[in-house]
Amino acid sequence: MSIIEVKDLVKTYKIIEKEDGLRGYVKNLIKPKYKEFTAVNKINFNIKKGELVGYIGENGAGKSTTIKMLTGILTPTSGKVIVDGIEPYKKRIENNKKIGAVFGQKTQLWWDLPVIESFRLIKQMYKIPEGEYRKNLKNFTEILELSDLLEKQVKNLSLGQKMRCEIAATFLHNPQIVYLDEPTIGLDVFVKENIRQFIKNVNKQKNTTVILTTHDLKDIEDVCERIILLDKGNIIYDGEKQKFKDIYGKSAIAEFIVENKTSLIKNNINIRELKIIEETDTNLKVKFSHTETTIINIVEEISKYCKIIDIHMKEAELEDILKEIYKGAHTNVK
Amino acid sequence: MTKIIYGIKMYFIFFKASLKEMLIYRLDCIVGMVSQIVTQLVELIFIWVVFQNTQSISGWNFMQILLLYGITLISIGISDLCFDELYQIGPEYIKEGEFDKILLRPVHPLLSIIGASREFTALGHLLLGVIFTIIMLIKLAIPITFILILKIIFFSIVGAAIIGAILTIFSIASFWTYRANEVMWSFYKIYTFTQYPIDIYNKFIKILITIVLPYAFVAYFPTLNYLGINYNMIYLSIVVAIVLWVIAIKVWNWALSKYRSTGS
Repeated sequence: MSIIEVKDLVKTYKIIEKEDGLRGYVKNLIKPKYKEFTAVNKINFNIKKGELVGYIGENGAGKSTTIKMLTGILTPTSGKVIVDGIEPYKKRIENNKKIGAVFGQKTQLWWDLPVIESFRLIKQMYKIPEGEYRKNLKNFTEILELSDLLEKQVKNLSLGQKMRCEIAATFLHNPQIVYLDEPTIGLDVFVKENIRQFIKNVNKQKNTTVILTTHDLKDIEDVCERIILLDKGNIIYDGEKQKFKDIYGKSAIAEFIVENKTSLIKNNINIRELKIIEETDTNLKVKFSHTETTIINIVEEISKYCKIIDIHMKEAELEDILKEIYKGAHTNVK
Repeated sequence: MTKIIYGIKMYFIFFKASLKEMLIYRLDCIVGMVSQIVTQLVELIFIWVVFQNTQSISGWNFMQILLLYGITLISIGISDLCFDELYQIGPEYIKEGEFDKILLRPVHPLLSIIGASREFTALGHLLLGVIFTIIMLIKLAIPITFILILKIIFFSIVGAAIIGAILTIFSIASFWTYRANEVMWSFYKIYTFTQYPIDIYNKFIKILITIVLPYAFVAYFPTLNYLGINYNMIYLSIVVAIVLWVIAIKVWNWALSKYRSTGS
């Protein structure tokens, strides 16, 4: 059963069409001309309980707008969202009890109070039972290393410290679904690692559904099992992360350390979609396509001409794949 | 019913958090209070100058006017203390994107916002109001009974609630303009009319301050009761407060749903 169902979801905004020059501005002031802008264009997807979903796309692709409709902050122009049986924008407060959210660098903590005070306020707000609160607090303090931070005022924390506290605050009431919009933006590698570990941990322990939007594809690589890729308000991919890489990331690079070469491999090898990038007496670097051949095949071929000592494989990274997709998508439009 | 109890509880929890936050800025608080007291004293000098030239205004003498003034200040003090954050909806919450965060809480956003009020400089008003009220009651030889004290406390809170409801209604402008606080401020300031007996005004202003923006129920009608001029109008204040809040919540929810569907 899906915990989140999105059906033909559309969000359009009215924006004022700008005209140049002072005359244009005055004209706009008196009789503004509106233009419709479609941020999210009839999208559909379902998310099952406990899934870790990466919701990605370029700036302005419609990610935040979607998240705002899923959380009930925005009402859709048309279409429907059903989260655990209710439409969040119709019963927002009921929905809020079951979800947690981090929106970039906006903190839900009380700026002037010590962190622990904010946690207590959240406890009261969500009516978290004492035992559950203590258990979570202890657990989160350990994983996110908060013990030195709890008594400090939020305004005195560094960005990384604040985000760790923020993440803890978000999960404190055992939400069924957590929306994380750019949770790792501007953080250093260690904090990012820490937060990713935490998310995976909670997901495993409590089967929390997590929807993550991020520009740091390491987050997705590390945390998510599924990817929904958005471009200009349309979903252009929805499926397993690995499949995504298989479909779009056809190419991989293999580097061989070889000896006793009998001839120039470049001239002899004949595998489709295989390109020799570099060849020396002891070194061979090739780029090949997963769909056309396998690494075993290549090894077999190459070993006819030399002795292979070592192999290094490098899979195409998500980021490279996305770059190519965006490039493709944009040239199609033109 | 449990929802209402939960709402009230959360309001006080938020308000307590704001109190703690305020105590961190002790100096700001003291400076603010002093400046508020000075501002009020300037207005008092103005009233005093008027009474140098006349014995009474519309049958009210200097001390009666000052009692009305004191009672008004108490209600203003309470309402500034409790509802000041409404001014921030536009410039702070919506403009800075803080509003989304409020919308994610399992609590009505209005409670979150009102509960975050921490305009503790308003204690200056409150203090001055209490002092004037006590002095004038003594000077006017009105016996300060336990009942009277309770009545003044209760109806001062009712008065503050009336002001709060009016502010809440006009705070919806925040959903359309960042400068809504200026709109609110101008409507709020109309209360100053009721620092004088309303008989001195023409019909238009009378209708304005008793029906359109019923500020007269904040302090004027209660003071009539304390002075023994009119005993009954004071009780209408309760009705006015309730009706205004029902309207305020309806209007506010309507504006919020509009905002959430345009997302502008």
